[in-house]
Amino acid sequence: MMNAAIRSCLPALSLLLASCSSMSMPSFLRSPASEAVVFALGPREGYTSPLNGSLKPACPALVFDRADFKLTETHQQTLHSLAQEMSKNKKARLLVAGYAPPNLPQDHARSISERRALAVRQRLIELGLEAANIQTVGFGNDFSPTGPSSDVVVVYRQN
Amino acid sequence: MNVRTLLLVLTLAICHGTRTEAGVLDSLRGWVGLGGKNRTEEAKKTMPRIRVGAFTGGTGSSAQQTLRKELLDSREFFVASAEEKVDYTVEGTSVGGRVTGRLRDTKGKELFQRSYAAPGLDENLKALTDDVIYTITGRPGLATSRIVFVSDVTGKRQIYVCDSEGGEVHQVTHDKNGAVAPSLSPDSSMIAFTSYRSGFPIIRLLDLNVGWERGVTDTPGSSFGSAFSPDGTHLAAVMSFIGNPEIFVSDLNTNTAACVSDSVGAPSSPSWHPNGRELVFSSDDGDGPKLYIVEVPQKEGGSSRLFRWRTGYHFCTDPEWSPDGHHIAFTTRTNGEWTVAVKPYPNGGVRVVQTGGAEHPSWSPNGHFITYVQHGELFVHDLRSGNRRAIVRGYGRITEPRWMR
Repeated sequence: MMNAAIRSCLPALSLLLASCSSMSMPSFLRSPASEAVVFALGPREGYTSPLNGSLKPACPALVFDRADFKLTETHQQTLHSLAQEMSKNKKARLLVAGYAPPNLPQDHARSISERRALAVRQRLIELGLEAANIQTVGFGNDFSPTGPSSDVVVVYRQN
Repeated sequence: MNVRTLLLVLTLAICHGTRTEAGVLDSLRGWVGLGGKNRTEEAKKTMPRIRVGAFTGGTGSSAQQTLRKELLDSREFFVASAEEKVDYTVEGTSVGGRVTGRLRDTKGKELFQRSYAAPGLDENLKALTDDVIYTITGRPGLATSRIVFVSDVTGKRQIYVCDSEGGEVHQVTHDKNGAVAPSLSPDSSMIAFTSYRSGFPIIRLLDLNVGWERGVTDTPGSSFGSAFSPDGTHLAAVMSFIGNPEIFVSDLNTNTAACVSDSVGAPSSPSWHPNGRELVFSSDDGDGPKLYIVEVPQKEGGSSRLFRWRTGYHFCTDPEWSPDGHHIAFTTRTNGEWTVAVKPYPNGGVRVVQTGGAEHPSWSPNGHFITYVQHGELFVHDLRSGNRRAIVRGYGRITEPRWMR
């Protein structure tokens, strides 16, 4: 009788487990052991903002199709090429700037654009670049429509 | 219904619950309508009855008429005529625009007597109105309250201040590259905002009375989303210098900051509970921004609780706690458009305040109104009647309004 009861529960249990596996777990409940080491930003002295001068992009702009901040295969390839090029000059510095489209709430746009810039910086560090030589900024949609007005991250060379 | 069917139904219910589809919960919201309950409670209350008595002096007649209008507009009282029985009487003198007001109760006991010597008669009467409202109801009046907002009318985003009716608009920042994300201190004397004057987003404080400015953060990365604590001594904000954007609470007296969140996502828009011990903020872990509550440790090294506060919507930003701490207003999305909604804290049904592109809500100090922007226009919305009106026109695209707390 017990076996029959367990058998009757199995379809529902499997449905429940399937639903749980597709749930997103809040970040603070995830195990920190599974995450990569995050590198704090170094001093910003000497960096030029794209708002104060004309800066050259170090690589094609990284376009984020979805609303999240995960790096796609295309991003990885672009950053790999950039890291190889930058490895020739260990002192070269980069400013990673995130932008967001004008239709997003302003504070959320600032945060998601900064988060994307930090994800790009993290990947460049993992590819061998010096953490101290990469700064980030999240402009959100504060400068649209005159500045970049879509979900992009631009990596600027610093002089 | 056998055991297998019951479990299947339960499982499907859990699946719906975890996904928190707005469509499913919309049908439930109708059963617990926030607005209907409030209207019923309001109707049961009797408004205090007040009379505006004689004001002697050269500008006394104007003062009497203007004060009567201010008290009527406040919708806090039944303003009675000379013959009617009242609970309170306000009277006084007005000479050359200066005003002295006295408030008495029904037995003739004087509740206060104050003089107001600001340059204009209207300004003095607004201050008197707010004092009358606060003395009788215990809630702050709106006549002297201020709304701060961002406008791009000059070509760069700068911060402006206006009164609660959209009058007396003043530009308060003239930063190179612009200034955004303003927050008013509880006494309206200071504004915290994100400045781009250096080319990077840093948080600065502007004292509106004496005009001085100082930096609060000049850390690498980005700093934004500042919010004054209810006592004005601390500032919550997002900073990213540690390699992740996190919510920090800065002590404005010591210029020290403590991280209170633990996110790998994109947190934004912290707002204080009026008790000063909790914050609500929005955070996006990659599947759309949701609302979280965090307790602010009261001493160094203290532990704090951090948990998700479910609204039933997938996309929630710009939360702000009501002045009494019983509700949270936020921006969400319905049918692909921005929508301002209010939900009781900790539990209760969501009330949609305004659809069709309304965003960035902020409560009036008395909790009766909400200001928000819709397609670049600044609105004030009466939560009791549902009436609303655009209060500022001709200032380009307006964003990020905040009412004085």
